[in-house]
Amino acid sequence: MKADKTVKLEQKITELEDKWKRAIADYHNLEKRVTSQQADFIKFANAALISRLLNIVDDLKRAANHLNDQGLKLIISQLQDLLETEGVTEIDATGKTFDAHTMEAIETVAGSENEVIEVLATGYKLNDKILRPAKVKVGKGGK
Amino acid sequence: MSKIVGIDLGTTNSVVAVMEGGKPKVIPSSEGRNLIPSVVEPIKNLVGDIAKRQLILNPKNTIYSVKRLMGRRSDDPMVEKTRGMAGYEIVKGKQDMAAIKVEDKEFTPQEISARILSKIKADAEAYLGEKVEQAVITVPAYFDDAQRQATKQAGEIAGFKVERIINEPTAASLAYGLDKKANQTIAVYDLGGGTFDISILEIGDGVFEVKATNGDTFLGGDDFDQKIIEHVVAEFKKEHGVDLSKDKQAQQRIRDASEKAKIELSSSEETEINQPFITQGSDGNPLHLTMKLTRSKLEELTDDLVEKTMGPVKAAMKDAKVDAKDIDEVVLVGGQTRMPKIQRVVKDFFGKEPHKGVNPDEVVAIGAAIQGGVLMGDVKDVLLLDVTPLTLGVETLGGVMTPLIERNTTVPTAKSQIFSTASDNQPQVEIHVLQGERPMSGDNKTLGRFVLDGIPPAQRGIPQIEVTFDIDANGILKVTAKDKGTGKEQKITIQNATHLTDEEVDKMRQEAEKHAEEDKTKKELAEARNQAQTAVFEIEKQLKEHGDKLDKADKDKIEVNVKQLKELTEKTEASAEDLKKATAETLESAQKLGEILYKQQTEGDKPTEDKKEGSAPKASAKEDKGETDESAKAKEKAEEGEVVDGE
Repeated sequence: MKADKTVKLEQKITELEDKWKRAIADYHNLEKRVTSQQADFIKFANAALISRLLNIVDDLKRAANHLNDQGLKLIISQLQDLLETEGVTEIDATGKTFDAHTMEAIETVAGSENEVIEVLATGYKLNDKILRPAKVKVGKGGK
Repeated sequence: MSKIVGIDLGTTNSVVAVMEGGKPKVIPSSEGRNLIPSVVEPIKNLVGDIAKRQLILNPKNTIYSVKRLMGRRSDDPMVEKTRGMAGYEIVKGKQDMAAIKVEDKEFTPQEISARILSKIKADAEAYLGEKVEQAVITVPAYFDDAQRQATKQAGEIAGFKVERIINEPTAASLAYGLDKKANQTIAVYDLGGGTFDISILEIGDGVFEVKATNGDTFLGGDDFDQKIIEHVVAEFKKEHGVDLSKDKQAQQRIRDASEKAKIELSSSEETEINQPFITQGSDGNPLHLTMKLTRSKLEELTDDLVEKTMGPVKAAMKDAKVDAKDIDEVVLVGGQTRMPKIQRVVKDFFGKEPHKGVNPDEVVAIGAAIQGGVLMGDVKDVLLLDVTPLTLGVETLGGVMTPLIERNTTVPTAKSQIFSTASDNQPQVEIHVLQGERPMSGDNKTLGRFVLDGIPPAQRGIPQIEVTFDIDANGILKVTAKDKGTGKEQKITIQNATHLTDEEVDKMRQEAEKHAEEDKTKKELAEARNQAQTAVFEIEKQLKEHGDKLDKADKDKIEVNVKQLKELTEKTEASAEDLKKATAETLESAQKLGEILYKQQTEGDKPTEDKKEGSAPKASAKEDKGETDESAKAKEKAEEGEVVDGE
């Protein structure tokens, strides 16, 4: 009877110890994750805003192409400087071999195989994380 | 034991979730998104967003919607239909089952699904920082045994031990806690990216039974996007005479803008599609796409799609032999159910408000994670840690409530703070333990009070009384007050400090809100009065000690000021502004005194009094200077615990 109780209690202790250790471990892991997430958060807090700004940069570039206006080009270069100081870099795609990690194929056209023939929308990285892939036309070869 | 993850292995997108601290949480992919496109390029082993990006370039090698092939024979009508749409080659594999041929290599649908699951596994491991080896995977309710078996195999190929295969509508119901209800009939309306499913479930004693399912395997959110694209292209043609559907680049921009517009119209009534320089007119001038789209226009455009979902709904009800009025609960699943029109149609049909979460595209994975939690034993006897429903604190000088443990703190917990005396040679302090959110102690509930006596005679602010609040897991609060000088201590134990009825808690919180403004004024006044009294006390003391070093005129002026301030603090009608102003003036006039003191200090290293803001004792957070190393340390500690300033 007594022994029975002891066994039960011992089982309970083992079980509780396990649960306790797991709770502590969970907590430690959470702590670590929170720290790294906070670091990421600071680094990428602007990502959403910048992504939306990039659409306007696209449109400004389109306008510059049509209008060929020196003043407008200056404004765009100012905007690009600002983005650069925030850690935004352009993905260099023109003439490169297609890479799905940084580019999105929109269309295949005549041209050497797997080579980026034309960049339709510039891709951007923010602190080495892809903000948006470059949208590109890729050569399908055979010519 | 490692964690069991829940996986929604979808036709278009997949999602993974896990129980963390008793709550389900969606695990973001390495690309930082909650949804992983169910797209695979098996030769270069690209999965998800990356595989999707090279789809157009590599259509023969890029496999999507593989779920449609899972566990089906090669001549199955669904396989035939998929064959007609897919860019990759679907062949007859072993035992006449559907297989995919890529560059002379044959893959089973299981192998392709396993690639998606492998990525999910790797992402989950990176996120959790531990091995993940067990999973609960969901399948549509209509999946037959071969399809379920195939899904299980996919999990095993990916290195998972598949603990359970559960139905998607069951998972969605679990996510809303519907398993806790008995004898209910549930309708789950699931409109995802590419498929529509309606399931009628019955739940009895925690066991779900599928009564009927129906749906349309080629109807989803993408069709809604397509309607907008067609509308935009048609309108543009009408206006400018240019057909944008021939221009791939323009098409791409319109597709992105249309999806964005659709999403925006779920929360606003009107949106603008705005794409400058979309193309050139026949005269070579640039043309811009600007178009207003209203919610009602979108509803008109997609009316037939919404209507198309109702046929299967009615058929499923008929099969299950139930009427709309027999349905107890309705659950919405899938991103497209964010559309207000769909919510309205479903609500009108069943005559009740559907369950809809913030992220209807994540509920299936969340339900699977909950099932995983149940299997881990995590959910069944989840360790329920209580929180303190209301703030606990002590009364300090001027009837101010100084909080020690803020409300919503998870227990067990302990916190201490050092307080001091309010007057010279004070022999005892009273610890008045309070509960509530109001800043003045009189408006809060008294839990108990006790006296710590035998404090040796000392100047005010010198004795260090450490007050400790300790709540154990059972909600028992122990309050200890200890004179650090003599080591003497007193304590009180309060049962059930955390156990209040919901009504009590609500009432106290509501009162706190109602009186917030008036309480703030009261507290400001108490604090201003405390500061004035402290100023009077300090200046009087200094005058006594150093007054003889001042000119008679200066000394008289200071004395008059102090006297006036003292009188003001005794007047009940004095306002906080008056008190603050008078205190400032008095302190300014006493600057002469400060100069003398400062001189003395630099000569003789004598301490100065520091008059920073903060409430004064009956127990003030000690604001004294450090004369010895030990008390310097104590000061640091005291400030650390300071919770006085209300702002």
